[in-house]
Amino acid sequence: MSAVLAPARPRVAAPPRPRRLAVRTAQLVTGAVVLAALWHVHLDWTGLRELPGDVVHYLRLMFAHPDWSKLPYALQQTWVSVQMAWLGALLGVVVSTVLGIPAAQGVGPLWLRLPLRAVFAVIRAVPEVIIAIVILTVTGLTPFTGALALAIGGIGTHAKWTYETIEAVPGGTAEAVRAAGGTLLETARWGLWPEAAPELLSLALYRFELNVRTSAILGLIGVGGVGDLLTGYTQYRQWDAVGVLIVVVVVVTMAIDAVSGALRRRITKGARARVVDGTE
Amino acid sequence: MSATPSVSSPEAALAASGPWPVRLDDVSVRYPDGTVALRNVTLAVEPGEMVAVVGLSGSGKSTLVRTVNGLVPATSGRVQVGPHDVGALRGRRLRELRGGVGMIFQAFNLADRASVYQNVLVGRFAHTPTWRTLLGLAGHDDREIVLAALDSVGMLEKVWGRAGALSGGQKQRVAIARALSQRPRVMLADEPVASLDPPTAHSVMADLARINAEQGLTVLVNLHLMDLARQYTTRMIGLRAGELVYDGPAASADDAVFEEIYGRPLQVRDRLGSAG
Repeated sequence: MSAVLAPARPRVAAPPRPRRLAVRTAQLVTGAVVLAALWHVHLDWTGLRELPGDVVHYLRLMFAHPDWSKLPYALQQTWVSVQMAWLGALLGVVVSTVLGIPAAQGVGPLWLRLPLRAVFAVIRAVPEVIIAIVILTVTGLTPFTGALALAIGGIGTHAKWTYETIEAVPGGTAEAVRAAGGTLLETARWGLWPEAAPELLSLALYRFELNVRTSAILGLIGVGGVGDLLTGYTQYRQWDAVGVLIVVVVVVTMAIDAVSGALRRRITKGARARVVDGTE
Repeated sequence: MSATPSVSSPEAALAASGPWPVRLDDVSVRYPDGTVALRNVTLAVEPGEMVAVVGLSGSGKSTLVRTVNGLVPATSGRVQVGPHDVGALRGRRLRELRGGVGMIFQAFNLADRASVYQNVLVGRFAHTPTWRTLLGLAGHDDREIVLAALDSVGMLEKVWGRAGALSGGQKQRVAIARALSQRPRVMLADEPVASLDPPTAHSVMADLARINAEQGLTVLVNLHLMDLARQYTTRMIGLRAGELVYDGPAASADDAVFEEIYGRPLQVRDRLGSAG
């Protein structure tokens, strides 16, 4: 019996268990950093107790008796924001596509790829609001400034998405074009573009969706649109008007998201299932 | 789908002015990661020959055919294709060589979202100004050649359909048409039937054999299945670990020869089986 319970030698010689010292250390350090961060920001936990009451109070101010007479003006300014978002997306996407494709590995040479990617990274590091503040010294406090800021700010992420999409295209088709004697441009046009175009179009629409949201924030610095209005009414504590604005912004943003999302699904999924007359 | 397409090839539109020989002289390929894919391979393929390159995956078959059109440059040794010394070609000259060498692939490598027509038009790129091809415009002659190429593989009725909507066998036929529209002197095929079911595999191999017979094209086809090599080709090159271990008639290559090439006893999966 004792022979069964305590065999002289383990019957299965398992490889030694790997030491996970590095992982354990990382876990401990991360935990310590989180705790230290909580300690150092001096959170006023007592404020939390009054939060629910405050929320209810302000919600009642905004939505109990909304000032619907402000609706036409709110819609008009929201439209300005949407225009800002659309123009910004259009400009940004065009520039991103032109600069993003040569930045993809296998398309542009290294001496071109590296500086392009560096530029995108720098732009990504600067928030749209900062870009708007810089360029409004030239173009003034106009919606066009907002559109430009969205366009420039969008290049940072959108060009990155573009070259990542191009790099994710399977290389077979491009190889076939090269094998047939295609030039670099021909390979990009017929080996990469047909496969990447639906994804890129979908990303362009997503950029527009993002811009609709960001344009409301840009309004805060005074370039016009619904964000501008929101700042004004909040500062003058006209909560009944703020309520109307919030309703308009939420409804319009959700509507645009829904339509744009449906379009994007149609582009990426629907096109694949589509059958051209005569193919089946 | 019948094993042999009903429409015969319109010789006039597709006839090339003569197949090229392919010569490899002591060719080695070492990839940047240090892998040696080919070791001192010497090989001469006569114009109009149909040659099977046989070996297990990783034996260097794909690398071998890619040295012929310069997709993979030879690290040492010399590759001669017709009048061209492949290693010395750059830019326009290299594209001219590639224009004379058609290639088909295991994964078909079509642009699935483009039309069959646009896909086959790629075969005309080496002969057409770039500004035209970028816009997808074809001259009258190019259009005729593309349609004739599709007709010769029995795919003319799908010309305006999307390539992605085709079955595997149809895609490989369109890929063959793309290669044919180059009016090539040499045809390379890298495991052309490995993604197809057995009956379709046989009909695509029959297409290649027919092109070789009717147009007199030099054909190099990579295969890992022994019965396909025996049935459709006249000569067989065996590769094992990047070295040429067999070069002789395909028909007389017996099981012992294949065991030598594979470096192991034969298995059921080394044969495709006959067409259903």
